[in-house]
Amino acid sequence: MRARHVRGWFVRLAGTLGGGASDRELAEELESHLQMHVEDGVRAGLQPEEARRQALVKLGGVAATAERYREQRGLPWIEVLLQDTRHGLRRLAANPVFTTVALLSLALGIGANTAIFSLVNAMFFRPLPIERPQELVSFQNKARAGWGFLVFSYPNYKDLRDRNDVLAGLVAYRFAPLSVSHDGVSSKMWGYVVSGNYFDVLGVRASVGRMLSPDDDRLPGGHPVTVVSHRYWRQSYGADPSVVGRTLNVNGRAFTVIGVAPEGFFGTQLGIAPDFWFPAAMQAEIEMGSAWLEARDVEILMLQGRLKPGVSLAAAEAALNDVALQLEREHPDVNEGKRIGLTPPGLAGTPFRRSAISFAAILMAVVAFALLLASTNLANLLLARVQERRAEIALRLSLGASRGRLVRQLMTESMLLAGVGGLIGVLLAAGLLRLLAGVELPIDFPFLLELRLDYRVLGFTAAVAVLTGVAFGLLPALQTTSVNLYSTVKADSAVGGARRSWLKNGLIVFQVALSLVLLTGGGLMLRALHRAQTLEIGLDPRNAVELSFDLRLQGYDATGAREFRRRVLERVRSLPGVQAAGTIDLAPIDLHFGRSPVFVEGRTPERITNAPRAMASRISPGYLDAMGVRLLRGRDFSEHDDEKAPRVAIVNETFARGFWPGQDAIGKRFRQGSALSPLMEVVGVVEDGKYSSLAESAQPYVCRPVEQAYAGATSLIVRTASDPQASVAALRQEVQRLDPGMPLSARLLTDKMAVPLLPARVAAVVLGGFGLVALALAAIGIYGVMSCAVAARTREIGIRIALGADAGNVLRQTLRQGITLALVGVASGASAALGLARLMRSLLFGVSTSDPSIYVGVAALLLTAALLACYVPARRATQVDPVIALRCE
Amino acid sequence: MSDRSDVWQGTLALMVLKTLEAMGPLHGYGIARRIEQTSGERLSIQYGTIYPALLKLEQEGCIASEWGASDNNRKAKYYRLTRAGRKQIEREARKWEEATAILARFLAPPQES
Repeated sequence: MRARHVRGWFVRLAGTLGGGASDRELAEELESHLQMHVEDGVRAGLQPEEARRQALVKLGGVAATAERYREQRGLPWIEVLLQDTRHGLRRLAANPVFTTVALLSLALGIGANTAIFSLVNAMFFRPLPIERPQELVSFQNKARAGWGFLVFSYPNYKDLRDRNDVLAGLVAYRFAPLSVSHDGVSSKMWGYVVSGNYFDVLGVRASVGRMLSPDDDRLPGGHPVTVVSHRYWRQSYGADPSVVGRTLNVNGRAFTVIGVAPEGFFGTQLGIAPDFWFPAAMQAEIEMGSAWLEARDVEILMLQGRLKPGVSLAAAEAALNDVALQLEREHPDVNEGKRIGLTPPGLAGTPFRRSAISFAAILMAVVAFALLLASTNLANLLLARVQERRAEIALRLSLGASRGRLVRQLMTESMLLAGVGGLIGVLLAAGLLRLLAGVELPIDFPFLLELRLDYRVLGFTAAVAVLTGVAFGLLPALQTTSVNLYSTVKADSAVGGARRSWLKNGLIVFQVALSLVLLTGGGLMLRALHRAQTLEIGLDPRNAVELSFDLRLQGYDATGAREFRRRVLERVRSLPGVQAAGTIDLAPIDLHFGRSPVFVEGRTPERITNAPRAMASRISPGYLDAMGVRLLRGRDFSEHDDEKAPRVAIVNETFARGFWPGQDAIGKRFRQGSALSPLMEVVGVVEDGKYSSLAESAQPYVCRPVEQAYAGATSLIVRTASDPQASVAALRQEVQRLDPGMPLSARLLTDKMAVPLLPARVAAVVLGGFGLVALALAAIGIYGVMSCAVAARTREIGIRIALGADAGNVLRQTLRQGITLALVGVASGASAALGLARLMRSLLFGVSTSDPSIYVGVAALLLTAALLACYVPARRATQVDPVIALRCE
Repeated sequence: MSDRSDVWQGTLALMVLKTLEAMGPLHGYGIARRIEQTSGERLSIQYGTIYPALLKLEQEGCIASEWGASDNNRKAKYYRLTRAGRKQIEREARKWEEATAILARFLAPPQES
C-alpha cells in the first residue's frame, strides 16, 4: 500500500468520525455545478426548466451523487456499525425493563462463569510461579502392586538426581510443621524442607538477600539458615530489608534468615503456602525425632525435575526408569518393582486430582448451564420483541434493505447486551473473588489458591460474552428476517407462526431439560450430604473438641512428653462437664497418608514393597471414648501399656478381617514398619472409620499406645456433656498453664468434619439454587408459549365450541399440548442428567448416580409446574365466547 | 458492474489529473465538460461520478481545492494539481503506456517471425 493510500484511509477515517459540515459544502458545490450547467443550456437556447432538467439527468441525481460522495468520504462499514450501535442503544434505552432484566441475567451468568473459570484456571491452567514452568515435571513413585504415590526416599532422590542425563535439575521437598517464636510468642507454622538446589533449579531469585544454594545443604545439622516468604517478611518484619542476618527461633533452635522469597512465590505445591524454606541437611532439627537423610526405606520427599531442552516427557521417563532399574538391583529390599512416572506439575499428579476435577467440572457445568438458560430466555424475549417489528422488517425487506444488513442490525442489539452484561459480569466476579479471598477455612495448614482475573480468565470471559450474544441474538434475527414478505405485509398469517412456534417449543423443551439436569444434580448432592451426615465415620463428632499441639517441636523428649500428656489429661478430666479425654497423633479426618507395611506372625515375610499396608495412629488410653469410637471386642489401652510392657495394638474390623479372615483377631501378633520391628499383640478390635477422606473405602487401620511409640504431634480430644464451645477457653487455659509458650489450635470436631463436606455443600447449594431459577424460568416460558398458542387459536376454539365441543374437551386438548412439551423436556433432560451425574461420583459418598427416587421426584416437580403453567391459559381457552371469537377477524 | 467502474475510476482519475495539468485550476463542472470535449464527445460521463473521484484524489493528496469565483462571478469550488499530483500523473501515464503497449501487441494482426 502506497503512502497516498494510507493518507486516503486516514482522511476517510477522520471523515467517518467528523460527519456533518461537508454535507453542506457538497450541496453548495453541486448547486453551483447545476447553475453553471443551466446557464450553458440557456445560452444554447433551452428554456430554464428544461435546461435544469437536463442538467440533473446528466448529473445523475443530486441524492445519488451525494450518497456516492459520502461513501467515498468515510469508511462505510464503520459508519454502518456506528449507526447500528446508536440504533441499538436507542432501542435498548426505549425499553428499560427488558434491558435491565437482560443485563442482569447476563451479568450474573457471565460473572458466575468468570468466577468459576478463575478457580479452574488457578487449579489447572496457571503455571507455578517459577521460571519456564512448562519444563517442570512431577515424579510419581509407582510400585508393582499398582498403587502410585508421590514420595521418595532421600538416598533414592540423590541417586536419581546424579545418575540421569535427561534432567537439567531435580529437586526434593517436603512440608513440616514448625514451632516458630517471634518476639517471645511461639506459633505453629509450616515450612518446606528442600534440597539445596531447589531455588537454582526452579529459577527463583531472592527479593532480599539470597536464596538457599547447594552450599547450604552439605553437612547434616551444619546449616542453620532459612529463607522466609514474602508474606511472612511483610507481616512479621514490616518488610524491613535489614532482616537478612537476623535470627529466628524455630523448634527452639536459632536459624539465620538469609533471604526473602519473591512476592507471589508459594513453593511448588498448589494450594499450600508455607512461610519458610530450610535446607534438607537440617531436617533432623526441623523434624525432630526423624532422620531420613540416610534412610532408603523412608519415602517422604516429593520430587520435581526440570527437563533438559528438547527432551520429551516419554524419553525422560524411560531414562529415569533405567536408573530405577539400577536402584532396584542395588537395593532390592526397598526398591523392588519401583518405577517412575512423570506428570506435569500442579494438581495433575496429586491424590486430590479426581475430586478436584469432579468439583471443578460440576461448578463449570452448572454455571455454563445457567448462562445457557439465561441466553434461552433472552432469545425468547428477543423473539417476542422482534415479533412486534415483523411488519416493519418485512416492509424494509420489500423496500430493498438487504437481509444481511437487517440481521447485522438485530445482532448489534444482542451483542451490545452481551458486551455490557459481560463487563458488569467481570466486575461482579472481581467482587466475588475479593469476598472469597477473605474466607478462612477451618483447616490446619496454610491453604492458598490465589484467584485472579488474569488474561486467561478475561479472554475466556470475552469469548463467553461473544458466544452468548451470538447464541441468543442470531436465531431470532435469522428467523424474523426470513419472513414471507407477501403474507406478512398482507396480514398476519399462520404460516410464519408455525415455524416460529417450532423454535419457541424447542426453547421450552430445552429449558425444561436444563432445569431437570440442575435439579437432579442438586437433589443428588443433597442426598449425598444427608448420607454423609449418617455416614459410618467410626467416630462421633458431636460435643467433642480437638486441641492440637506438637510436643516434639516444643522440645519435649519421650519422657517429658509422657509427663506432659499425663498431667494434661489429669487436669482436663477433672474439669466440670468433661466426660472423656484422650490423645492421638493425627486425628481423623486429616491429611493422613502414611501407610506402613504389615508383617503377620507365622507367615513368610514379604519384601517391603510388596507387603500389604495399613495406616497407623498412636493414641492414649481414653482416646476411643473421647472420640466415640466403638470397641467391638477386647479392651482399650490402659496406663500399664507403657514402654516396659509387651507391645500391643488395637486394629479395626477391616484389618482383622483382612489378615485373619474367619478367626478372632484378639491375641494374634504382627509387626508393622519392617520385618524386624517388634511383634505387637492385638488386644482390641474397633469399628471401621474414615481416616483421610469421607469418600474413601474401608481401610485397614492400627492404633498403638503412644507410650510405646513416641509421637510429638498431639491432638487432645475432649468429650463434653453439653455444648463444647463453652469449654474451649478452659481447655486452652489448662494446656497453657502447663506450658505458656505452647502453640495451640482448637476447634470443634463438628466444624472439622464440615471441611470435607464443603465441596459437596457448595455444589448442592449452587445446583439447587440454579435449578430452582431454571424451574421458574421454564414455567414462565411454558406459560408464555401456551398463552400465545391459545390466543392464536381463539377463533378455532370458538368454532369448536360453537359446534358443540364441551369445555372439558377443549381444556384437555390445550393441556395436552403443554404437557407434551414438558414430557419431551423431561425425557431428554433425564438422559443428560444421567451422563452428567457420573462426573459427580466422587462427591456423592456412595449415593447412586441414577438414584430413581430423585429422578422421579424432580420429574414430578417439573411436570406439576408445567401443568400449572398450562392450566391458566387452558382455562382461558374454555371461556372463549364463540360469538366474540368468530367476529374478531 | 463494479469491475468496470473500478477501471473507469482509475482512468477517470488520470483524465481529471491531465485536465487539471492542461487547464490549471478548474471547477468540477468545467473538468467534466473538458473531459467530454477532449474525448471528442466520444465519452459521455455522468457528471455526478466526477465528485467522488475528485474527493478521492483530494484525500490522497493529488489535488487541492478552494472556493473561488467563476467566470460569471459565481461561487465555485476550484481544484488544482499539487506536486504529489504531478508525480502521480507521471506514474499513471507510464503505467497506461505500458498497459496499452502490451495490449497493442495482442490486438495487432499476427506477424511472421
